[in-house]
Amino acid sequence: MDAKKLGLVFFPAFDWAISPVHPEREERLLYTRDQIVEEGLLDMPSIQEYKPSMAKISDLERVHIGVPDIGSLITNAHLVSAGGVMAAADAVMRGEVQRAFALTRPPGHHAMRIVHGTRGFCTINNEAIMVEYLRKVYGVGKVAIVDTDVHHGDGTQDIFYHDAETLFISFHQDGHTLYPGTGFTDELGSPQALGTTLNIPLPPGTTDEGLHTVLDHLVMPVLADFKPDIIINSAGQDNHYSDPLANMKITAQGYARLADKLQADIAVLEGGYSIETALPYVNVGIILAMAGMDYSKVIEPDINTCPAQPAAVTRAINNIIVEQQNMWGKREKLRREATAKAGDFWHSRRNIFYDEQGINEQQTETVRLCPKCAGYLLIATEAHGSGFGYKSAYAAVISRGACPHCRSAAVDAVHKVKKQGKYQHYLVQNKYEDKLEKL
Amino acid sequence: MLLGLDVGGTFTDGAVVVDGKVVSVVKTPTTHGDLLTGILTAIDQVVADVGSTHFTRIALSTTVVTNALIKGDIDQVGLCIMPGPGMNIKAALPVEPYVLSGYIDHRGHNLATPRQDEVVAACRQFKKCNVFAISGKFSVRNPCNELAVTQWVQQQAHPDHITIGSGVAGTLNFLRRTNSAYYNAAVWRHFNVFATAVTAALKARGIGAPVYILKADGGTLPLLMAREYPVEAIFTGPAASVLGIMAMNPTMAPSLSLDIGGTTTDLALWQNGVPLFAEGGASVGGFATSLRAFRLSSIGLGGDSLVQRVEGVLKVGPKRLGPAMAVGGPSPTVTDAMIVAERIAFGDAKLAMKAMEQVAIDGQTPREVADMVLDAAVTIISQAIDDMLAQQANKPVYRVADIVHGTQFTVKHVIGVGGSAVGLVPLLAGHLGVTYDLPKQGMVANAIGAAVARPTVDITLRADTVEGYYTVAELGIKNKLQTHKFTLTDAYALGIKHLTELATSRGIPLGVTEIIQSEEFNVVQGFRTVGKIMTCRLQIKPGVLMNHEEAL
Repeated sequence: MDAKKLGLVFFPAFDWAISPVHPEREERLLYTRDQIVEEGLLDMPSIQEYKPSMAKISDLERVHIGVPDIGSLITNAHLVSAGGVMAAADAVMRGEVQRAFALTRPPGHHAMRIVHGTRGFCTINNEAIMVEYLRKVYGVGKVAIVDTDVHHGDGTQDIFYHDAETLFISFHQDGHTLYPGTGFTDELGSPQALGTTLNIPLPPGTTDEGLHTVLDHLVMPVLADFKPDIIINSAGQDNHYSDPLANMKITAQGYARLADKLQADIAVLEGGYSIETALPYVNVGIILAMAGMDYSKVIEPDINTCPAQPAAVTRAINNIIVEQQNMWGKREKLRREATAKAGDFWHSRRNIFYDEQGINEQQTETVRLCPKCAGYLLIATEAHGSGFGYKSAYAAVISRGACPHCRSAAVDAVHKVKKQGKYQHYLVQNKYEDKLEKL
Repeated sequence: MLLGLDVGGTFTDGAVVVDGKVVSVVKTPTTHGDLLTGILTAIDQVVADVGSTHFTRIALSTTVVTNALIKGDIDQVGLCIMPGPGMNIKAALPVEPYVLSGYIDHRGHNLATPRQDEVVAACRQFKKCNVFAISGKFSVRNPCNELAVTQWVQQQAHPDHITIGSGVAGTLNFLRRTNSAYYNAAVWRHFNVFATAVTAALKARGIGAPVYILKADGGTLPLLMAREYPVEAIFTGPAASVLGIMAMNPTMAPSLSLDIGGTTTDLALWQNGVPLFAEGGASVGGFATSLRAFRLSSIGLGGDSLVQRVEGVLKVGPKRLGPAMAVGGPSPTVTDAMIVAERIAFGDAKLAMKAMEQVAIDGQTPREVADMVLDAAVTIISQAIDDMLAQQANKPVYRVADIVHGTQFTVKHVIGVGGSAVGLVPLLAGHLGVTYDLPKQGMVANAIGAAVARPTVDITLRADTVEGYYTVAELGIKNKLQTHKFTLTDAYALGIKHLTELATSRGIPLGVTEIIQSEEFNVVQGFRTVGKIMTCRLQIKPGVLMNHEEAL
């Protein structure tokens, strides 16, 4: 069978909203739907539309540890959105299409491994669920995720922070000036995965010019070095010059050329809240670029309101490129040094804020740096919030290729903490056996 | 007294229906090259049979447009488009368009007006064209640019006809509307010559009944309207037989209809007594159009399908070398198998037996082979049904509730018409484990369908309470909303009013109106809901005229 160029899972979830006037509201993709249908894109021979199926709770539990369980924290809309992303992956992996774009909502890139609720409009991480699905069902190994949303993809970073097989690259508006306030150049991954988290914080006012300098001199060369089996694009569209929630100056052409350069196997919609003046054009641009069609005429009617890039912004961008080029060049050395310094265990302690529900979470992570395998991860989480109360859990994550010793040590560690009785829930996410167990 | 005529590839069929009963049926050969001769022969035979020329109406399902397209007997069209920003549409159009400035956005804002000097240049380039098509992106949200260009073209080029995109369909899809407008203009002259000849010939016979043309969606259009929208007369053959099935055998159960002819079988799925429509519209010459049509699946299997052994394996269809051996054909066919399996009595049974002997191996009896052939035929049809159901199940939906509570289409009933239905449909129904019907007069279902097809029309009303106006693309109107508290209920009422206007202007009785699509969204500015956008499509319910009081 002749593979079509692009599989499109278009699922605007017209009956799902965080609230009627929230940026994530029912009509977010209404104007995009109008534009896609009016253009006649769904009638193009190179584009095949797919319908989402519903993800199963077990698909979610490959990634997430919900407190007390993920099922109680989500709605059917989340299962359909994740299922839509998985349908896009299936279409590519079965060879029915060359690449796919999941234009679905709700979004997911702020959802971390531990889930207490919704943060940054996200409850479950669609890309991460798809990556683990690809590994489980299709045996995919090395994965690169390029997050092109204006907000740092802190959820995706969290989930793959200890995974050397997953390269996570995020460019975004500098965290000093925008939610979620993370994604700086020193967040590089835990010792054994050092360098496979690569953040590119960009100054407000970055235009297509700056973005494409970053792509040409940093993102594309790093991808070429890493040689992923599959490239995923977390395709947020809020870098657009008309976005109401951020301050970047990217155009539909900038996004379309990005999609053309990146040649992602699967792209997944994230944010983008200029629903009337940006999304219709940006999405058409991305779809055309991914389908290998002419996108040169996709130009916003108000393009003359997009300013040029100030010289200071250009200089700042160039500095970040050089900094991260250097890091990437010596990542092996950095990894050896960090591993040696950490010894058997690496610890981190963080506060995580859930903006939607006003939940404050304190989380500690302990990674077993095993010389024989990818080790295991122990997580202690405590979350407070008015109206939310208090929830806590202690969990172990056993890696896919964990050695027998690490597998039993992880379970023993949770049993040991359970005896002390400090937490409400005790869980083991066993990737080796593909199951999530409550102890 | 309703007269229906269907011009098919082989036969021109006529049927007269009175009070829901078929009172006359005729079959005459189709006169290719001059379809009218065959049509008039059929009419004359019907008149002789019923002894009257006082028809309530005459409805015609004709291949005149289809044939014109196949033969390339179409006019050169001056195609002017206003695509604005977006996809480069040129490659997806049948001819090279002239691209004009002018852009309406998705909210119906006029962001760039067309330029008269460009229109003048376009007319110069198209100076040989007597027909024009003008189409702009989002013109259904605001037709002002299409109308302005139309006026300039009229002044500059004085063409015989101009088709505008927002006139051919009120729904979104610039590409499909543009293709529809192009084909409409391309066949306009050809159809009008035909329509004039039909009118004259009927007048000469003293037949004063109004003439309607069947559309691909099973509705009918008064001839006067069809003269403006001739492209609607394409693909009416299958629509006619599907409607005939509806007329002869109304059923509300999820059903499958099969029209099994000599070479092909047309399948349609039915829900709540109406056939399912093709997504987006029909495809014409490989180009997507906005023409509403039934979703039909056509497979290469019929009574005359060749039965042969290919490397020892029994193969049925899709080739046809001629009629069944039982009636003097050259090679074994499905019909021969049906005769030997005692499913039908037809032609010379001995010759049919001989046909089955030709494809028998390993001491098989002719009866055994015949059963195998019919099994194979049923398998081919079942596969086509599975494909249709899979396609139906994969139809995209845009709401969570539709995914969670979506129901699957399950065939509960089979209706078969066409020459070979009687031999295959009982077997197929048995295979599917469902009930079946073989309506009488199924052989002329197409003509009966044409006779009883109800005239229909549809409109799309879109109201934007923030902008304070509403549009009805099919009527080319953009009016102020009287109130800011306009609701979806108000939209329905307004829609019915305009649908009535449109129907009246086209000479169509109102019948039953229905809402076929409706949606309502908030418009939020700065975290405040400032208004609503609502869209609804209304139509005069398609269907069949079976009771006398309903007739025109």
